Amino acid sequence: MNLDSRAFFALDEGAATTSAAIVARLRDRWRLLASIAFPAAISTDAILRLLVDRLREADPGIAAALGAESALDRWGRLAVRGRPAGRIAVVAGAERAVAPYAGAATLTGWRVTTASPERLDPLALSSLLLDRGLDAVLIGAGEPPGPDERPTLDDLAALVAGVAARRPELIVVLAGAMAERAAPFEALTGRSGAVLLAPAPVDHPAELALRSLLGELRSASDDGRRAIVRAVGSLADALDRRIEVLEVGITGGLRAHALPGSGGEPGAVHTAMLASAGLTGEDREDVAVDDLMAWSTTPVDRIRLRDRLRELRTAPWGDCAGDGAHLRLAAARAALTRLVDQTPDLGALPSPDIVVAAGGAWAVAPGPAIALALIDVVRRSGAANLAYDHARLLGPLGAIEDAAERRSVVGDLAGELLAPLGSVVMPQGLHAGRSAGRLVVRGESGTTEVDLVPGGLELVDLPPGETASAEFHFRDTVRVGARGRQFSVAVAGGLGGLLVDLRDVPLRLPERHERRREMLAAWQGALWGGEDG
Amino acid sequence: MTIGLASRTGVELIAVRPLLEAPVDVRLPLAPGDRPLVTTGDSVAAGSPVAERFRDTRLEEVPGPIPDAVPGRRWSGQLSPGSLGIRRRAARTSGELLFEAGGRWRVATGEHGEPLESPVDGAVRAVRPGVDIVIRANGRALPGVAAIGSPARGVLTVETGPDGELRPGLIDVSAAGRILVVGSRVDAETLTRARAMGARGMIVAALSGKERRDFLASVARQRASLHRADSFAVLVLDGAVRRPIASAIMAVLAAIAGREAALVIDPPALVFDEPSVAIPAPDPGWVRVRSGPLVGQEGQWVGLAGPRRFAAGTHLEAGFVEFPGEPPVALPLNDLERYA
Repeated sequence: MNLDSRAFFALDEGAATTSAAIVARLRDRWRLLASIAFPAAISTDAILRLLVDRLREADPGIAAALGAESALDRWGRLAVRGRPAGRIAVVAGAERAVAPYAGAATLTGWRVTTASPERLDPLALSSLLLDRGLDAVLIGAGEPPGPDERPTLDDLAALVAGVAARRPELIVVLAGAMAERAAPFEALTGRSGAVLLAPAPVDHPAELALRSLLGELRSASDDGRRAIVRAVGSLADALDRRIEVLEVGITGGLRAHALPGSGGEPGAVHTAMLASAGLTGEDREDVAVDDLMAWSTTPVDRIRLRDRLRELRTAPWGDCAGDGAHLRLAAARAALTRLVDQTPDLGALPSPDIVVAAGGAWAVAPGPAIALALIDVVRRSGAANLAYDHARLLGPLGAIEDAAERRSVVGDLAGELLAPLGSVVMPQGLHAGRSAGRLVVRGESGTTEVDLVPGGLELVDLPPGETASAEFHFRDTVRVGARGRQFSVAVAGGLGGLLVDLRDVPLRLPERHERRREMLAAWQGALWGGEDG
Repeated sequence: MTIGLASRTGVELIAVRPLLEAPVDVRLPLAPGDRPLVTTGDSVAAGSPVAERFRDTRLEEVPGPIPDAVPGRRWSGQLSPGSLGIRRRAARTSGELLFEAGGRWRVATGEHGEPLESPVDGAVRAVRPGVDIVIRANGRALPGVAAIGSPARGVLTVETGPDGELRPGLIDVSAAGRILVVGSRVDAETLTRARAMGARGMIVAALSGKERRDFLASVARQRASLHRADSFAVLVLDGAVRRPIASAIMAVLAAIAGREAALVIDPPALVFDEPSVAIPAPDPGWVRVRSGPLVGQEGQWVGLAGPRRFAAGTHLEAGFVEFPGEPPVALPLNDLERYA
């Protein structure tokens, strides 16, 4: 898309949600003028017409100057799309050899089915691979193959070649020592699915190369999650901050950790995409119900919870108000838990300065409740700012091809694309007791003093746009990023203010569902305004 | 009537569900070893066998080379001594070629064949041995959100109103050969009894996860005992939580009641070939509450209400809907749907 025009539509057309925004150049700076989100079933043009009408009502002068009356015809569209995760079968000569390949496929957003001749006979394996729901098959072997794999490799290659002959659309990846057995595939003709060679994940560079290949196979060039990865790199550079994005949608989740470039070195973005981190936890219904029960604040039994999860899967935007909003946020927490638990490598990277929630899972939750959901799941001692990609701009901005132009646009919009949720300070190593110390917050609107009670969640009102100094005086040595008893932290306000999280790291919750639910509801109640409806 | 500042337009911001679809491609899955009896381009009549399915499929080894052998092709001949599956009887058999390795072909063959019948009249679009047969069905399809069981054909009978529920005791042998429309929900006991009485299927607005699991477990037990059962399918129109069948769908079902139709699993739909039956076009301003506290209610679209605050402090785009005999009420747009 040509960004020479004065305004454009930013579109994130996800599998469940279509988000649309108007971005315009005003006084030599790109500004976010309006945004809206609707279920994906609604026509994009209908959504854009509503958005333009709202702009014309809100500021007729700007709308006229931008030529909004013919916006749908004249303005460009910067669009990314989300699609259901594809399914890949990861097959190896031995169960032991399956795991590293399955791990790489899992972290690139595929829904993964694993198999080996140790577990399935050739007939069952053929049935599995002939399943029409399968999009790709990865046959992997060690480099060099282990003694338990060697006897099976030729038969395995022949079996998969037999399947590939019947399913010409099936993508085949031959990895590690399997790449030497490409001959049966070279004889196949009339195939639309690619046959590709890949390295065995024997070391970190090879694993990254394998993941890169699998990631490209999974997604199209306009894939929303891939675009978010590019945008968060630009955002980290523009703000010179470490940024972590936690995106949850209906089809999966993305965790991206971006480090800004420094000293002439380029920045880096570490990523993982998981199909299992989707809002409804595709494929593993029992696990998804367990996960949901663990975070649910709604008194509902397992059978009805399963039904409501199914409804959420069928109509992700249905029943968003009242009880349904709580259920949706519990599902988002459960998905986030899966995302964080399965990406420990990303959790071990230097703590981010800003944690950003993104994706359709958060679309209807109040900002403070999103902040709480983030800190409920991402338990990391230290301090960070929390933000929300409220207009879902990260994806569309990541679609800007030119890196310098992308960085410029992202830099202009940085203050508007992220809604500030607040700041969190999370000490670790508190001893149980009546008081762990005191906090003094000195801000523009005055000074606040708070007694620090271990196990609790202290909220300090700090509105968006305000900054303050938070001075902690602990009785004993604790860890807030570093170890010590006295800390002074610069904090920024947001919709949830300053959250001082004195709960356990990691969070420990009661085993009994009722007690657990009461505790979660109490914390959530403090941050979820307007419960009276 | 007048609704403040609300716009009377905006109906395009309500999700549309197709009431009927055509054409529809019905997919019948095959397993390795199953024997297709049709080829691409063949015309098929409902009830005619299109494949032979096998319960106990096994793998045999056949020495190569085999002339013109390709994976998926049928093979018949003499099995070699010591082949994987030879156990007891004459070694002449037939099956489906899977792959060749080490100069020997692996062949999927089976016992206890059962005919797989086409549930619809139509033309065969594709035959992929071991994968599926795709039939372009004559007629139109009423889509649902899910279907379980196996494709079936029968005479459509409306047993209850849109929000009714059928109890097991009300089903007797008169249900044999029929597809029953049973209203807002159904339990596993009713499904099992209907199947035992020879019914060919049920159409219901909602099927809970528990009832679904119980019913599928019952079917699996029967199948494990090698007892061949008639085809039986359940078409779920909306989801898992109870609600009435939409009036637009009830109008279709009423129009074809007493006629033959087919329940197919992939895609989940009721297929009927009755060109003479006129189906009234749905009113574009008539909307249905898809989810939320008023689920299942239907009314006339009045206009957009703009962003509104709903329970639990959520702010959602809303619209006014006028239910019969009641003043207009603002509802989240994402809880509404309309048929077209």
